Amino acid sequence: MTAVLLAAILLPMLSVPLLVWAGARWGSRAGRVALVVPLTSLALIGWLLSGAEAMTERVVTIPWIPSLGIELSFIVDGLSLFFGLVVSAMGVLVTLYASSYLDDHYRDHGRFYAYLMLFMASMLGCVFSENLLLLFVFWEMTGISSFLLIGFLHDKQDSRDGARMALFTTGGAGLAMLAGVVLLGEVTGTYSLVALRDGAMTQSMAEHGASWDGILTVAFVLMMIGALAKSAQFPFHYWLPNAMAAPTPVSAYLHSATMVKLGVFFIARIFPIAAMLEAWTPLLVSIGFLTMLLGAIFALLSHDLKGVLAYSTVSQLGFLVGFYGMSNTDGASLDLLHVASHVFYKGCLFMVVGIVDHAAGSRDLRKLGGLSRRLPALTIITLIAAASMAGLPGTMGFISKEYMLKAKFDHWHSDAWLNWLPLTLVIIASLVKVLFSIRLVRSTFFGPLPSEIDEHFHKPSGWMLISPAILAGCCLTFGLWPDLISPALRTLSVEGLHLETSIHLKIWHGWTREFWTSLGIMGLGAFAWLLLGAGRLNRAGIPSWLRFDQAFNAFMNAIPAIAKKITSLTRADRPMDYLPIILGTIFVSVGSLIVVHGARLLELTGLRGDWRVSELLDPLRSFVLLLVAIAVLMVTTLRRWTTQLVALGTVGFLLTFYFVLFRAPDLAMTQILVEAATLILVLMLLSRFPRAAETGERESRPAATRRIMNIVVAVIAGLTVTAFTFVVATSKHAEPAGDFYLKQSVPAAKGTNAVNTILVDFRGFDTLMEVTVLLIATLGALGLLMRYRRTEAEAKAGPMGPPGMGVIHETDAERERWTDR
Amino acid sequence: MLLETAILAGLLFGFGIYQVLQRSFVRILIGFVLLSNGANLVILAMSGDPKGKDSPILAEGTGPHVDPLPQALILTAIVIGFGLLSYMVVLLYRIFLDYRTTNAADLFEEPLKEAKPEEPH
Repeated sequence: MTAVLLAAILLPMLSVPLLVWAGARWGSRAGRVALVVPLTSLALIGWLLSGAEAMTERVVTIPWIPSLGIELSFIVDGLSLFFGLVVSAMGVLVTLYASSYLDDHYRDHGRFYAYLMLFMASMLGCVFSENLLLLFVFWEMTGISSFLLIGFLHDKQDSRDGARMALFTTGGAGLAMLAGVVLLGEVTGTYSLVALRDGAMTQSMAEHGASWDGILTVAFVLMMIGALAKSAQFPFHYWLPNAMAAPTPVSAYLHSATMVKLGVFFIARIFPIAAMLEAWTPLLVSIGFLTMLLGAIFALLSHDLKGVLAYSTVSQLGFLVGFYGMSNTDGASLDLLHVASHVFYKGCLFMVVGIVDHAAGSRDLRKLGGLSRRLPALTIITLIAAASMAGLPGTMGFISKEYMLKAKFDHWHSDAWLNWLPLTLVIIASLVKVLFSIRLVRSTFFGPLPSEIDEHFHKPSGWMLISPAILAGCCLTFGLWPDLISPALRTLSVEGLHLETSIHLKIWHGWTREFWTSLGIMGLGAFAWLLLGAGRLNRAGIPSWLRFDQAFNAFMNAIPAIAKKITSLTRADRPMDYLPIILGTIFVSVGSLIVVHGARLLELTGLRGDWRVSELLDPLRSFVLLLVAIAVLMVTTLRRWTTQLVALGTVGFLLTFYFVLFRAPDLAMTQILVEAATLILVLMLLSRFPRAAETGERESRPAATRRIMNIVVAVIAGLTVTAFTFVVATSKHAEPAGDFYLKQSVPAAKGTNAVNTILVDFRGFDTLMEVTVLLIATLGALGLLMRYRRTEAEAKAGPMGPPGMGVIHETDAERERWTDR
Repeated sequence: MLLETAILAGLLFGFGIYQVLQRSFVRILIGFVLLSNGANLVILAMSGDPKGKDSPILAEGTGPHVDPLPQALILTAIVIGFGLLSYMVVLLYRIFLDYRTTNAADLFEEPLKEAKPEEPH
């Protein structure tokens, strides 16, 4: 079983590079090849389902980072199998659909299918994860592949904006979720979902008493922020409609059927763990049902077909979130029915919209119309799916709505506001849903056929109809014979999440409350449609203060503007201006510390009473010091680069004298060698500069005030370093770390030179890193030399020598330019 | 011993920082060399007064040895400083090739060009 499960998740991931290759080779036909991947995953997951007699839970654990409690731990139970089936089956249908949708007008087919399969793999990984951290990793991977897919048509501005918005919103909220997961893990000591459910949670609550409830609630709320953002719940609802810039197969797959359900899935996953928290019901019910109503109203006020579907998805997800919130701690029931019903009709409708867009060249409800004459088969499919969305009898949507109302009536909650509020919101939202379902069908397929649509019309490929037809067929079949899914729901029920009831779905329950309510909703909806009419809705729009996406974009655009303002305020683009400030701050703070605590610091150095400087100074050492001072002064005052460098080399060589005094022969030797190499290298490169560069440089001297300021900064720095070095070096050390190396050098490293053994034995890896730094510097230098684009004059002068070395500067024009300065 | 070292380090730092504050890239380069020499010396001073101590070669001498750790650190620092310096020299050369100047003030004279947002095709 382990192998089958891992294969189902990993095969789509492994197929990614193959699909890129296939796309480069076969273009739009790569979709047919890609179809193999989701089919395989579907078959493997189907095999997992059939393999077990009853749906007992099975956990597969492969150690990964045991010290952090992270394991590649997967769970196979009803919930993961259900979502796994949805993901892989929709994967098959969407890939089939996309292989016709993405025709030769599109580019980069390989990349598209690669992203799609990457997404599918992350999705499968997410739903089968048993470890919360593993789940988070896959969770973020779905976000990244979603970003790539939304931005697939990256030469369009709205694609990029939509992709950015989705990534920032879900990714940012994902960080909150990570914080929640880590907090939960720290409190309970485990990241395993099974362990948490089987007592780790209740145990830690019992151990630590009521005070920990607060921490657990914080962890729960943080995790919910991530989940709600993923499922586009208010106030994060704005990203989903903007994600519709993606190609339609992506919208059908990610943004209606699967990825946006992850939040709902996560809520179901932690239901057995967190439903006992007091915050559970109020949080989820208020946000869920509010989103349900808002989404439905926005859907009615949108004119873009995909916008309508996106907001109706937001609305339906809101219902699912609220539904879990309503369920009492014993468990929920029929949640999978509601999810499946939504997958069927919404996936179908998205595909229909893609076909309409393809055939008519527009998705605007105000411009479309009369397509039923041209696309009769599509009209029937749409009618079935829209009927399911509106909840008409005979479709799966009706069954779902019937049971959802029944649940509302049956589970009359003890809190007063939890009784009437959800029920009212659900009824109003269902009413609006009927309205926009009617509008969708009426404005697209009936009425007069506008002439420009007629002119643009071209018949879509029959292949595209297969996937939506299958989905519409499911809506109808399970709507008419709902008992067909009862055994599946019974098999897939999960311990701790689902109420153990013998489920037998029926289409007819008698004249019950929910049936009357349902009838009322349909009747009122139809009546409201007649009252409002298409024209009035066409003139409406979403009020601008509720357009969070515009606010988000304004915010995102403000960030670079603010950054630019701060940059120009601090002048970070001019090192000469800000370096004195930084250095001045450092040295004034350190220097003032030395001045203020001078007496105590002097005590530390061990110098007492009447000490004289002359006692501390030795003539020979002072002489070398004087020589260095002269050399340094020459470096500063001399004008020619060559002489400056020779003076600089003198400084370096004279320093070896001090190295020797400090009993450091290795240092002295290295210093001599490196100093020689430096001198040669710098002289070699500087000699390639034209003379004019050197003379020209001399002329641009800074203003007098700046020179004085520089001198002041430098003097303060010198004095501070002197005082600092003297105090630190003469103070008593507690126990030098070097003693260890001196003691261990011979016994442990078998070497008598302690400096050498530190470098190659004790700290061997540091030396390796040092070599790496040199290598990086070499590569960087090589890159700088090689990527030089020659000027026209240089190109005319013929081929160059070694990379970058043969550049001719002293053309006549060049010389003139330099002497002009 | 330590007083001279401290003065020397201060000297190198003072002049190094003065050079780094100049506009000429060559002077900034020189300042960098002076600063790294000064920093090495400060670290070396941490091993304390070497009077009466032997070099950290255990085969030679029987008395107490100086602390080998600062020496190992400096050995690494010298080599890495060399790597950095050679990269900076090449960078300077490249800046000269591209901008025809060795002067930081010239390079930053013009305001940074504002990147225009791409127009959708």
